[in-house]
Amino acid sequence: MTEAALKGAGSTRLFVLPRFLTAEHPFPWLFPAAALMTIFGIYPLVYAIGLSFFKKNAATRKMVLDFDHNWTKMLYDERVWNALFNTLVYTGLALAFQLVLGMLIALLLDSERKGYALLRALMTLPLVIPPAVTAMMFLLMLNGSFGVLSRGLIAMGLLPVGFSILGNADTALAGVLLAEIWQWTPFMVLIMMAGLRSLPKEPFEAAAIDGATAFQVFFKLTLPMMSKVIAIAVLIRGIDLFRAFDYVKVMTDSGPGTATETLTSYAGRIYFGNADFPYASTIALMTLIIVIVVSSVFMKIFKVKL
Amino acid sequence: MEMSRPLKILRDITAVFVTALFMFPIFWWALTSIKPISAVFDKDRVNFFDFTPTFINYGVTLFGQSRSQIAIDEGLGMGVAGAEAYDSRMSILESIIVSIGATTVTMSVAVFAAYAISRMTFRGRGAYLNWVLGQRFMPPIAILIPLVSIYKVAGMRDTDNLYMGYLGLMMIYALMNLPIAVLLMKSFLDDVPKDVDEAAMIDGATRWQTFCKVVLPMVKGGVAASAVLCFIFSWTEFLLSLFLTTDIRTVPVKIQTFVTSTGNEWGFIAALGTTAIIPSFVFILLVQKHLVRGLTLGSLKE
Repeated sequence: MTEAALKGAGSTRLFVLPRFLTAEHPFPWLFPAAALMTIFGIYPLVYAIGLSFFKKNAATRKMVLDFDHNWTKMLYDERVWNALFNTLVYTGLALAFQLVLGMLIALLLDSERKGYALLRALMTLPLVIPPAVTAMMFLLMLNGSFGVLSRGLIAMGLLPVGFSILGNADTALAGVLLAEIWQWTPFMVLIMMAGLRSLPKEPFEAAAIDGATAFQVFFKLTLPMMSKVIAIAVLIRGIDLFRAFDYVKVMTDSGPGTATETLTSYAGRIYFGNADFPYASTIALMTLIIVIVVSSVFMKIFKVKL
Repeated sequence: MEMSRPLKILRDITAVFVTALFMFPIFWWALTSIKPISAVFDKDRVNFFDFTPTFINYGVTLFGQSRSQIAIDEGLGMGVAGAEAYDSRMSILESIIVSIGATTVTMSVAVFAAYAISRMTFRGRGAYLNWVLGQRFMPPIAILIPLVSIYKVAGMRDTDNLYMGYLGLMMIYALMNLPIAVLLMKSFLDDVPKDVDEAAMIDGATRWQTFCKVVLPMVKGGVAASAVLCFIFSWTEFLLSLFLTTDIRTVPVKIQTFVTSTGNEWGFIAALGTTAIIPSFVFILLVQKHLVRGLTLGSLKE
C-alpha cells in the first residue's frame, strides 16, 4: 500500500487541520500569549515610537511630522535631567538600603527556633499592600502636624517643631524613599533567606573547625556564594525601582517643585498637564531604552539568567 | 555556629523588635481606621489608645451610610456635602471584577505558552522566552500613553462603553502579569519530568490529552500559586488604572479621591485602605511556599 492510501484509510474526518494548527506543533500553544503581547504590547510600543516623531502644536492641537523635535527637546530639557537624576538617586539609595537591610534581617530571622516561622510570615505582609495605600500610610505618618513619625522625630529633637518632611524640597525624597524601603525590604529578606537556605553546609562546617570568626565566614563564604541570588534580586528590584511612580505620585505629586520628580512621574505630569502626548511618549521611551541597556549590560556582566 | 544562651535571647528580642517595627505602619493604619476624627487630628500629642473606637469610617466607606447623616446624629455639626463620594462598594466590586478577569485571561494564555516552552523544541524558543521576559522589563508608562489614544479610537474607554472599559483594563493587567505567569508556570512544569509526557504519549494519548489529563493535574499547585500572585498584582496596581479609566475606579485609585482640597479624610482613607489590604494578606498566606519563586520569575526556588 502507498503512503497516501494509508493516510486515506486512517482518516475518516471531513477535513484535516493544517499541520501548524495541530497540538503537536508549538504554534497553537504559543499563539494566544503572543497575540496578547502583540496587540497590547508591541502595537502600543510601535505607536509610541511613531508618536515621538510628531510635534504637537499647542495652539492648534495639530500633529506635525518632525523627526527630531521631541528627542532634541528632551536633551535640552533640564527637567528631564533632573528627573533622571532623581530616578537614579531613588533607585540607588532604595537598592542599597533594601539590600543591606534585607540581608541583615534575613540573617536575623533565618533560624529553626520556635516562633521564627511566624516572624518570617509577618515579614512578608508589607509586600502585598497596594503601593498607593502604602504611600497613603506614610503620608499620614509623616504629616508635619499630627503624623506619628514626624512627631516622634520632633520629640527626639531631630526635627524642628512643625517640620514637614514631604513639604521640604531637601527631605521630600527621603520621605518617599522611606515608604519604598519599608514596603520592599521584605522582598529582599525573602530572596536572601531562600539564598541562605540553598547554601551547602560543608564549607561552613570546615570554616567552623578552622576557627573562622562570624565576620570572616560572612564576607569570605556567605556573600560570595550568594552572589548569584543577590544579582537576581538587584536586577528585578532595579527594573521596578526605575519606573518609580506610585509613591511619588501619591505622597508628593513630584513636588515640592520638581524635587521628587522621576522619569515616569514627569511623563505622567506632561500627559495630565499640557497633554503633549508625543513628548510624554518620548520620555517614556527613553526610560524604556535606559532600562533595556542597563539591564542587558548587568545581565552580561553578572551572568544573570532569569 | 552555636550561640551562647544570652546571645540567643538577644537575637530573639532583636528579631521580634525588627518585625514589630515593620508591622507598626500596618497597625497604625488599622488603628486610624477606628479612630474618631478628633483623635486622628490630635495636634497636642500622639494618640495611641486614648479614644473611643468608632466604626463610622467603615460604615461610610463599606456600608453606604451617609456621612452627613452620621455627622448630624453624632452632633458633630459637620454635615457637609459629598456623602456618596465616600461609598466605596462599587470600587471594591470593580477591583474584584478587573482582578479576576485579568487573572483568568493571563492564566488561560500563560499555561499553554509555558507548556510549549517547557516541553517542545522549536526554532525561536529562546526569542519567544526573551519576548516574554522583555515584557517584564518594560516600564508600563511606555505603552500607556499610546494605549489611551488607541483605546479612544477603538471605543474601549470606559467613558464610551463601560463593558469595553472593563475589558480594556483587564487586558492590560493581563499583559503586565503575563511574564510572571508564563515564567512561573514554566518553572513548575520543568519540575515535572519529561518521561511523564513520553509515557502518556506512548500509551496513545495525544499531546492535548497528555497536557489536560496528565501534566496539568500535576502542577495544580503551581497554577493556583501563579493565579494568586496575578490576582495580588492586579489588586494592587495603581498606575494603569489611573491613566486608562475614569468611571471605573479601582480601590487604589478610589482612595486617592479622598484627598480633597479641604483636607484629607484620613478616617475614610484608613478604613478603605485597611479593607484593601485584607484580601492581599489572606492570599499571600496561601502562597507563602511559592512566594520566592513567584517574585523571582521562577529563577529561585525555595
